[in-house]
Amino acid sequence: MTHAVISCLHANLAALEAVLDDIDQRGITTITCLGDLVGYGPQPNEVVNLVRERAIPSCQGCWDEDIIEGLNSCECSYPSQLAERRGHQAHQWTAEQLSEENKAFLASLPMSLRRDRLLFVHGSPNSQHEYLLPDMDAFAALERVQTADADTLFCGHTHRPYVRELRDGVIRVRVQAPTDPQSPAEREMALPVRRIVNAGSVGEPRHGNTHATYVIHDEATGNVEIREVPYDVERTCRAIVEVGLPPVFAWRLRHGFEYAERADDASHVCER
Amino acid sequence: MARWALVSGLQGDLALYEAIQRDLRQLARVDTLFVLGDLIGPDRDANALLARLQDPRRGELAPQCIYGWWEEQLLAERGYRGERRADPLRQQFGQAAVEALEQAVDPGHLAWLAALQFGFIELDCALLHGSSAAVDDSLGPDSSPLLLLDRLTRMDVNRLFTARSGQQFRLELSGGGIESQVRDLEGQRQHQQSVPQRQVIGIGAGVRYTLYDPGSDRLDFLVAGSRPQQRARGFA
Repeated sequence: MTHAVISCLHANLAALEAVLDDIDQRGITTITCLGDLVGYGPQPNEVVNLVRERAIPSCQGCWDEDIIEGLNSCECSYPSQLAERRGHQAHQWTAEQLSEENKAFLASLPMSLRRDRLLFVHGSPNSQHEYLLPDMDAFAALERVQTADADTLFCGHTHRPYVRELRDGVIRVRVQAPTDPQSPAEREMALPVRRIVNAGSVGEPRHGNTHATYVIHDEATGNVEIREVPYDVERTCRAIVEVGLPPVFAWRLRHGFEYAERADDASHVCER
Repeated sequence: MARWALVSGLQGDLALYEAIQRDLRQLARVDTLFVLGDLIGPDRDANALLARLQDPRRGELAPQCIYGWWEEQLLAERGYRGERRADPLRQQFGQAAVEALEQAVDPGHLAWLAALQFGFIELDCALLHGSSAAVDDSLGPDSSPLLLLDRLTRMDVNRLFTARSGQQFRLELSGGGIESQVRDLEGQRQHQQSVPQRQVIGIGAGVRYTLYDPGSDRLDFLVAGSRPQQRARGFA
């Protein structure tokens, strides 16, 4: 079966419509969404409504959680006070705009979805706020997939799509017990092959291009295609400014890369 | 370099704490005492021990304490952990244990317990009750090496001292590696990563405690009151 995985829609209706068109044109009917339906963008209700109309199974993202639970994240969420202020503005505006019905829908979303040996999460199996960056410690990355009892972990949150395969791993240990300190026991753990697939971002790409990104996975062959989809960026940028959101959000969409929103420490585990 | 004494699981036992302090007075070069949680428990009144930990006697090593699983349960039940309550304790040992734990500690000690930290970072060592993931994370010599490496990585330390399992052990990550291949819109790249030379050390609990010399990396696994000057059980 071939299925599509989308993430980080961020209330960008034009981008979501373009991506869904692209998926439909390929005859793919199974779509999974990894959360962050809202936040930053100007059409939160429209995007949530479209996901609900299409009955797309979705995980809860960090923005979806924050809108429901309120802001209580640890310091990892924002790299600067300026970024934090802008994020809070977007949070407040989104919370005011979202209908109660759509808030209830976001509150109902699960932390993860599972299909056989495929696991779908927003950030990591530990937290919607944890970034699984492509260059994070390979053992820690493998631990996230292995502990979740999955073969392939689909995630988002970083807004940069990638496919990472972890293989040929082995860890050797020497164990010394107090009863026999002079004869340490040695053992070896062969690590399984595991994959992390990051779906990128539909509504706020940060990979150096303005195109929306998502992934198509062929379960039979294991092949993962990273798709880039052009959409009417200016339509969303105009709407951002018109509704009074910080203009830097439009600037980011026009440039397609992050602006002071990078998680620098891949080993950081959110403490919220 | 002076050594550290690492103790856990006193569970209100003042006599045991005094026995360990007597041991430490006889031992050379021990200048720091860490108590890695489980100061209290449901089986005995912990108030005398808690008072002593907060107000050491002359000649005793002043303890540096963190909270453990039992403190976490009490603090949760008493409302110090937001909406969480002592549900893990309730599920494992029943309501009677929750009530016994509450009776073991006077409310006057709660503020001090609530101020205890999750762990200490000393030099390149993390001193924790469970692990960097959670206070109830029980790491032992049979734990998955992948999981142990993850717990070390999270704290970015070379030595992780843990008490939760109650076992004494030294587990050294001695070799290995992993291949990582990343494909994104810029292309494909490969990376080989080696297993770092790091260790997880179980310090024991109750009568079993540990001495560590950060200068030589030597460990001595001891039992309170049983000839602490003996060297045969230690290893570098």
